[in-house]
Amino acid sequence: MSESLHQAFDLGLFWEYRKVLIAGLAVNFYVFAAAAVVALGIGLGAALLRVNRLPVFRWLGTLHVEIFRNAPEYIMVVWVHFVLPLLLGYLIRTRLEFNPFVSSVIGLGLVYSGYFAETFRAGIENIPIAHIEAGRSLGMSERAIFWRIVLPQVVRRMLPESVNQFISLFKATTIVSLIAVPDLMYDVTMITQQEMRPLPLYTGAALTYFVVILAASSVLRALSERWRAKIYA
Amino acid sequence: MTAPTIRVVDLHKRFGALEVLKGVSFDVERGKVVSMIGASGSGKSTLLRCINHLETPSSGDVLIGGESICFRPGRNGERSPRPLSEINRIRRDLGIVFQQFNLWPHMTVVGNVIEAPRRVLGLARKEALALGAACLARVHLADKATQYPARLSGGQQQRVAIARALAMQPKVMLFDEPTSSLDPELTEEVLGVMRELAADGTTMIVVTHEMGFARDVSDRVMFLHNGLIEEEGAPEALFGAPKSERLRQFISKHVR
Repeated sequence: MSESLHQAFDLGLFWEYRKVLIAGLAVNFYVFAAAAVVALGIGLGAALLRVNRLPVFRWLGTLHVEIFRNAPEYIMVVWVHFVLPLLLGYLIRTRLEFNPFVSSVIGLGLVYSGYFAETFRAGIENIPIAHIEAGRSLGMSERAIFWRIVLPQVVRRMLPESVNQFISLFKATTIVSLIAVPDLMYDVTMITQQEMRPLPLYTGAALTYFVVILAASSVLRALSERWRAKIYA
Repeated sequence: MTAPTIRVVDLHKRFGALEVLKGVSFDVERGKVVSMIGASGSGKSTLLRCINHLETPSSGDVLIGGESICFRPGRNGERSPRPLSEINRIRRDLGIVFQQFNLWPHMTVVGNVIEAPRRVLGLARKEALALGAACLARVHLADKATQYPARLSGGQQQRVAIARALAMQPKVMLFDEPTSSLDPELTEEVLGVMRELAADGTTMIVVTHEMGFARDVSDRVMFLHNGLIEEEGAPEALFGAPKSERLRQFISKHVR
């Protein structure tokens, strides 16, 4: 029995296809990086809306967060890929088609912008007003105070929480395989159809993701702890 | 006749239903040191925060070097509230030191000191660093320039805060209970720096519980009670021969 189990689990097959699979993993990273940039940018914008003086802006920010935090990643990616080009094409009267890579980045970026908006908002609201008053007393403009005093502290304070969300985002990039973006999962699925040996391939993929995420999160946590300890004794 | 460095005119400040300042007026001439004493809740901090417009007065005016920080002159003598950009311009002439130091933890000591000169006055990095070194030397902390505030003692942090305010070369230095958060051993190092500033001819308004400092260093002392100046005058007169009963009680409670 252990003979056939050993045969079934032959990870050598996974190793054989390593070039293709590494290229697939790289696609996961590209999608992750691009979606992270989108999510951080839009998330920061939404957070600023949420803490604005005017109630209408606060309402817009809350609307954004509630819509995108409560949307499953897969639904959002599929919707952006299949529905949004139809809608936009209708508006400008041409036939539009989105590159699946672009759809994934936009879909994932929007969903995670909801999470990052809340992270940023919590960070901004926790900066002591005293630091801001010190800046005002020195004649600094509100913009200078935000970029030089508030935002740098928000980034440092929210780094541990953000690491968790980056990990979720990286894990979520596997769903892009379902709209034919050639990431690791997609490659594994294609190869399985040819080789008809799902065990080593899917197990190898799972192990790969696990190792990458564990390594990255350990390094990021260690770095962020050292960075914070230097400043907040 | 030159305008007084600071002129406060009939200042009122109300927070909701509570009126904290009920009509305070006084002048501070250049080079003079004015101490404000009084019980908690008498309005001393609020008065200081109105002077640099961290709080907006409910009515009345504050003039810095003859220029109102609350209102801008309009046509036909009409006044309108000052926009933030002009308030910030006038704030450069007012340095303030807070009770809780309020240093920025993510910047080094010298980073804290030169941030405003760089962003607000547009100083280049080299000049700003030279200015920072000079200000830190004035508070006897030149060797701590590259440290982060979290590593410094309370007295050292407060001296950095003084250096940060001095770096903008303000006309007036405002102190809001600068030693109230410090252990008694650390109070003297900060008071020492303040004494040196006074001797150098700095115009200062100091809200304080340190009666010794108020008596020895001030040109004038104001006793605030319930949002009004109950009594004011030279320190010898106020401490030696207080006229009001409340002041007498206050002094007996606070002077050891």
